[in-house]
Amino acid sequence: MRALMAIAKREWRSMFISPLAWALLAVLMAINAFMFNAALQNYVMQQVQFQAYRGMDGGQSITQWIVAPTFGNAAVLLLLLMPLITMRLLADEKRRNTWEALASSPVTPMQIVLGKYLGLLFFIATTLLLLALLPLSLYFYGSPDTGQVLSGLLGLFLVSAAFGAVGLATSSATKNPMVAAVTGFGVLLLLWIISWMGKAGGEGIEPVLNYLSIMQHYERFLMGVITSADLVYFLLVIAGGLLFARQRLLADRIAA
Amino acid sequence: MQETMIKVSGLSRTFGTFQALDGIDFSVQRGEVMGFLGPNGAGKTTTMRILTGLLSPTEGAVSVGGFDLLSEPEEARAITGFLPENPPIYDEMTVREYLIYLATLRRVEKGALEQAVNRALSRCGLVDVADRLLSNLSKGYRQRAGIAQAIVHSPKVLILDEPTVGLDPIQIREIRSLIRELAEEHSVLLSTHILPEIRMTCDRVTVISNGRIVAEDTIEGLEQRAHAGQAMRIVLAEPPSAETLESIAGVQSVSEQDGALFVTAEADEDPITEIVKQSVEKGWNLREMTPMGQSLEEIFVQLAGSDPLERSEENSEEGAEENGKGGAA
Repeated sequence: MRALMAIAKREWRSMFISPLAWALLAVLMAINAFMFNAALQNYVMQQVQFQAYRGMDGGQSITQWIVAPTFGNAAVLLLLLMPLITMRLLADEKRRNTWEALASSPVTPMQIVLGKYLGLLFFIATTLLLLALLPLSLYFYGSPDTGQVLSGLLGLFLVSAAFGAVGLATSSATKNPMVAAVTGFGVLLLLWIISWMGKAGGEGIEPVLNYLSIMQHYERFLMGVITSADLVYFLLVIAGGLLFARQRLLADRIAA
Repeated sequence: MQETMIKVSGLSRTFGTFQALDGIDFSVQRGEVMGFLGPNGAGKTTTMRILTGLLSPTEGAVSVGGFDLLSEPEEARAITGFLPENPPIYDEMTVREYLIYLATLRRVEKGALEQAVNRALSRCGLVDVADRLLSNLSKGYRQRAGIAQAIVHSPKVLILDEPTVGLDPIQIREIRSLIRELAEEHSVLLSTHILPEIRMTCDRVTVISNGRIVAEDTIEGLEQRAHAGQAMRIVLAEPPSAETLESIAGVQSVSEQDGALFVTAEADEDPITEIVKQSVEKGWNLREMTPMGQSLEEIFVQLAGSDPLERSEENSEEGAEENGKGGAA
């Protein structure tokens, strides 16, 4: 446990020492603020139109009109950026030869994977804290549906955690961080849009593809609906990514 | 009291169709420095990577400090320190942070951390740079940091892959004496291309070639081999006939060239004393006597000799050993 925490702490620190993490956070925040403002403008426009035509308060939920789309877009941004954060996790250790010091220490491959992942979760938590500030500012001007905001945040956390686990898995499979990033991005994008093929796939395939789609599960969280099916889906993706990474590390000893 | 710290038996390793190690056996006792010698691609690095749990063997058993590497890998690794051929350096950490991190992974108790790190820092001459970033340090210091991480948890077994590569002569001398010092408490397995280094630091030598052990002996044993059947160049002001010299016990043959006599001794015979004695008694007037025998280097070449072209299929991880080859030449 001590070793696991040491790995997590080192990972988290080294992320913030590298300019990459700061650059990604800056880009994420800037674009997110832009999208938040766009959603806000959109909402204001709707309100004005409703008042003009019906002479009354539109009664539109600011959570539905502003928070949900902001979180929804944030997930797409994270889909683009998360592979850049996760690409180094294991691939870089092997490229820099630090892998020898880490793996010749008395730690199991599972401890290495979990330590790295925990460090990544710290980073994700920091990111979400920053991302949540904009929706939270709405509390000064209105009364968002706290339940739906929290549900959306939980969804965003699970989506990021799933992205991270997939990224860790692809990072375990190569020495080259760029290859890890590109592969991770490909896998995530496919999982995001896989339901597009649902209709074409026919009756048997459609529910399967819909189930695999990250977007379908995430959208329910944004609506404020938390189901155990969606929770289990994200936990499965995370567990799958981590176990894949562990198997890769074990296989390295045999095949490398 | 002999206690086996490293025991390797029947160890084989294949990479695809390439047989990197072919049934090697050796052991290292407590307090012993074992030199691991062999040409590039002989399997030294592969053996070391197996001993530190980075690779699994295809066949055979390995135990470190009594822990079997397959059934108790973590226990074995906890008492092993490893310096890979490229020092495993986290550029973004200071030397101290780096050692604290790795000491924590190697199960040094929280209360003992600071002391362990300070000890490793001072032993490797890193005290002055302890709070500098590793990325800003020279190659020599990075190499020393690599050694420091290998000893920070006071391992019982030290595995060093070419520890003096990239160091200046003063540092090399320091590191060699450090290795001797460490051998008092630890067992050391050390690979090198530098033959004088073997003589200076090692108690025993294992020579490996083409994935097989071709010799295992003490330094004295190897040097005896080196001197057996040796030749001497002798210059005498008043040389006797060649027949007189050949009649001396232990002399195999005598030839003359440019005013000097070349005397070959029979195997396991030492005619030097008798030659000197007769030279004084009979007034041959000895001017010069130079042993022409095989050096440790020649023995090594003879034992490990293999066509390097045959080894070209060796995988890239052995490739970096090329750098160290200059030391053997």
